[in-house]
Amino acid sequence: MTDAAAPAADATAASPKGRSLFEATEIHKQFGGIQAVRGATMEVEEGSITALIGPNGAGKTTFFNLITGFYRPDRGRAVFDGREIQSRPPYVIARMGMVRTFQITKALAAMPVIDNMMLAAPDQPGERFTNIVFRPLGWRKREAEVHEQAIELLDVFNLAKLAEEYAGTLSGGQRKLLELARALMAQPRFLLLDEPMAGINPTLGRRLLDHMQRLRSEDGVTFLFIEHDMEVVMNHSDRVIVMAEGQVIADGEPHEVRSDKAVIDAYLGGGGGTATGAGAS
Amino acid sequence: MTDPTQIFQLALTFEAFTDIEFWTSVGIIAGIFVVFATGLQLNVGFTGIQNFGQVGFMAIGAYTMAILTAESGWNFWLSLPVAIAAAIAFGLIIGLPSLRLRADYFAIVTIAAAEAIRLVALNARDLTNGPQGVFGFDDSWNSISDSIEEFIVDLGWTDVPSQFPLFLVTWGLAIGLMFAFSRMTRTPWGRVLRAVREDEDAARALGKNAFSYKLQSLALAATTGAIAGFLFALNLKFVVPDEFQPLVTFTGYAVLILGGLANYWGVALGSIVLWSVLEGLRFLELPLSETKIAALRFMILGFVLIGLMAFRPQGFFGNRKEMVLGD
Amino acid sequence: MEAGTFSGAQVRTLGERFAAALGRFNEAPFVVRAGVGIALLDLVLVLADRRPDSVFEWLLLAAIIAASTAATVPLARRPAAVAAVVLVNILAILILFHGLHDVSQRGLNGLSLGAIYALGAVGLTLVYGILKLVNFAHGDFLTFGAYMAYLVNVTWDLPLVFAIAFAIAATALLGIGFEKTMWAPMRKRGAGMLQLLLMALGLAFVIRYSIQFIWGTELRQLDVNNTSSVEFLDLRIGRTQLTVIVVGFAALLATGLMLRLTLLGKRMRALSDDLDLAETSGINTSRVILYTWLFAAGLAGLAGVFAGAITQLQPELGFELLLPIFAAVVLGGIGNAFGALAAGIVLGVVIEMSTFIVAPGLKLAVGFLILIVVLIIRPQGIFGQARTV
Repeated sequence: MTDAAAPAADATAASPKGRSLFEATEIHKQFGGIQAVRGATMEVEEGSITALIGPNGAGKTTFFNLITGFYRPDRGRAVFDGREIQSRPPYVIARMGMVRTFQITKALAAMPVIDNMMLAAPDQPGERFTNIVFRPLGWRKREAEVHEQAIELLDVFNLAKLAEEYAGTLSGGQRKLLELARALMAQPRFLLLDEPMAGINPTLGRRLLDHMQRLRSEDGVTFLFIEHDMEVVMNHSDRVIVMAEGQVIADGEPHEVRSDKAVIDAYLGGGGGTATGAGAS
Repeated sequence: MTDPTQIFQLALTFEAFTDIEFWTSVGIIAGIFVVFATGLQLNVGFTGIQNFGQVGFMAIGAYTMAILTAESGWNFWLSLPVAIAAAIAFGLIIGLPSLRLRADYFAIVTIAAAEAIRLVALNARDLTNGPQGVFGFDDSWNSISDSIEEFIVDLGWTDVPSQFPLFLVTWGLAIGLMFAFSRMTRTPWGRVLRAVREDEDAARALGKNAFSYKLQSLALAATTGAIAGFLFALNLKFVVPDEFQPLVTFTGYAVLILGGLANYWGVALGSIVLWSVLEGLRFLELPLSETKIAALRFMILGFVLIGLMAFRPQGFFGNRKEMVLGD
Repeated sequence: MEAGTFSGAQVRTLGERFAAALGRFNEAPFVVRAGVGIALLDLVLVLADRRPDSVFEWLLLAAIIAASTAATVPLARRPAAVAAVVLVNILAILILFHGLHDVSQRGLNGLSLGAIYALGAVGLTLVYGILKLVNFAHGDFLTFGAYMAYLVNVTWDLPLVFAIAFAIAATALLGIGFEKTMWAPMRKRGAGMLQLLLMALGLAFVIRYSIQFIWGTELRQLDVNNTSSVEFLDLRIGRTQLTVIVVGFAALLATGLMLRLTLLGKRMRALSDDLDLAETSGINTSRVILYTWLFAAGLAGLAGVFAGAITQLQPELGFELLLPIFAAVVLGGIGNAFGALAAGIVLGVVIEMSTFIVAPGLKLAVGFLILIVVLIIRPQGIFGQARTV
């Protein structure tokens, strides 16, 4: 395992938990008769950008669901920031700073874009019922702050003009961006992106990647993303983890993984199906 | 040439049509249903949970108040918050196991729970007097009502309908609740509710405890259900299990949909229109028996529901963009 | 950048503490959970009924609990089998306290109720599974069937056999009629589930109150012999009830065979499983849907006649049966006709058995309690499939 890039060293030096931000050990999950994930084990360094790749049906999204609390693993452990999370509900994990996006975007369609964004902001006392009844003015200040932050963030993604539009009216690519922007509003420490580049034009994609790099170097955000675009994976990630048939079959730097025989086999039909066509990952 | 006796009959009808006592009582029922539907609105229109057991909360509110006041000798005013607490407790008991179920299962479970309440009320004779019901709880209210009446007479209007004080109180509560709930939904808390309605998993992925919010929504619906229960009991002057059938919840839904889901003031209009039509039918000079006219009224309710769903699911005031029904 | 405001180690509220305890319980081995569940159930039963009289009875009770728990050990992945074990357990306790005769007697009575529930539930679950329609009007199909039988049997004074045939046919036609005029057009417009549900509700009102309009609210009787009874094995059952059981079970058997063995039946089940997949595989879905309605409504009509025969006819007849029928559908897993069949029969028997513990007026409430408890333990019903995110 290579050392993490220097800019993240400050963050890691300050954190007493060491360089590993997230660890999954022997995660298993079975649905009916199908073993979707079998013994997936991996580690993510703080401040790194890690890509999770693999042929369709490899169990990548299922794995995401398992480590973010949407599914319960049958066996195995997941540890984030030193704390066990495999049996915690999704909202707890999100509040701990581990935020995920969805492969099929979940834009809250019947709400305006700005509401989508403001929803994600942490620490809004107005979200507690007791506060809106007994302290009706206490949350307005935070609301204004959040509104400002939201507009700034929307601006980064060129969505500020659409702030008052209902999210349901956005195009597919715009929704993808909204999903990402929204996840960023939640001020995550560890951001899990499920196919963030799908449906986005290359120019905007480049902006996104630049933004990710900036977030990593300036704010120490760690990224784990599922992608099928090999150019992005090879040129913009520090590490690549490859899954096939529910297991991790390779784990290393991009150039190591690219020439790994097991990986080549998996993609060319050794057992995990082809990389063509859309489908579950 | 029309038969002169027919004109005479029409005239009688017209006079009956403007009978203010009658319309006051229609107004009271409409107002009660506004209170009832306010909680449903929060559940269905804003949180996306299909609470089909709202009449159960109404029953608990009414019965708790009636039993405490009439049978246990409690002070009427003291019994009100206790009755609300009882309804909320029931809401939590039902909600905790069933809010994580899928929407249609939740609907079925809530109807079943409300029916269970009615069955218990029907059979627990020691507690609720069974089918005979409870009465005699309205002494405190009657004195208040008289005071209000005196006050209005002093203001100059001598011919006050006997139910007018209840009308005022009912609509006062209805408007107050609509206002309060309307404001609640325009807060960050309300925003989370909407998010839960739109996509629970997205809300969870952003750190919101969707389950807790659904529970809160249900508890608030229980509160309005209980309040509707008191008003209902005061209007009827007695509390019997037969008045708390699922039909009441279904009528509440009709009110909601007429007015447009996710719009509070629409609920008021929906209720007024629906009850005016339903009760106004009494004036149609039809050579039909009492039962048949009652049947006709509910048939119309059915047609209204079907028609709305088919042709205007967003109701009068619904927001097409925020439409919860269909696409 | 400040992030991660939640401190996972602190459990803040009592509710969360409770949830955590529950979570730990959920992670205990299956046997432990089953054992605790069965012990709790039996204790509740016992306390509601009467205390065991002697040490011997206590020992027997303990033995029953232990045996049931042991029986569940190899069945961790077979929810239906576990449910069967729980049922046997309940029966054992009831027999312990009330004797085989009484239990059998009530069980027999419960079978007629169960047959009616099952007939109603099979049709309802197929429509629900295929069309995603929560058909609140289904109960009123039962009522319609009952009144159609009344029309033939009493008003036109024809033998009951004709009445039954007519009721089935008329209700089936009604079902198809609504499919063509209401449901198919709404589906084409992409109506959502709540929209359809409310429409079905409206339809329920229209049917029920039309019946009330025509026939009024007074109780009516079909021309059946409700007084004489048949005796066998020291058990007694009303002649009509026996007929309901025999004919009902025959109908259910025929239904089961149809669904299992015929092409149409297989197609219905395929549609129920996955409508889109069925469409793409070339099945003429609209035709199968029509047949499904024919079938569902027809069975409902039959169930209605039976219900009317055993009790009396009134416009509320069907709706009162609707909730237990829905319970059977949910317990059996939506779209699972065999599950609904089994659940309907079992529910009928269990509801009747509950009269050992509660007043007869509350037996339906017990049915609802069972529904809620099962859904707590297994949110997808006994036979249902777990939904994924």
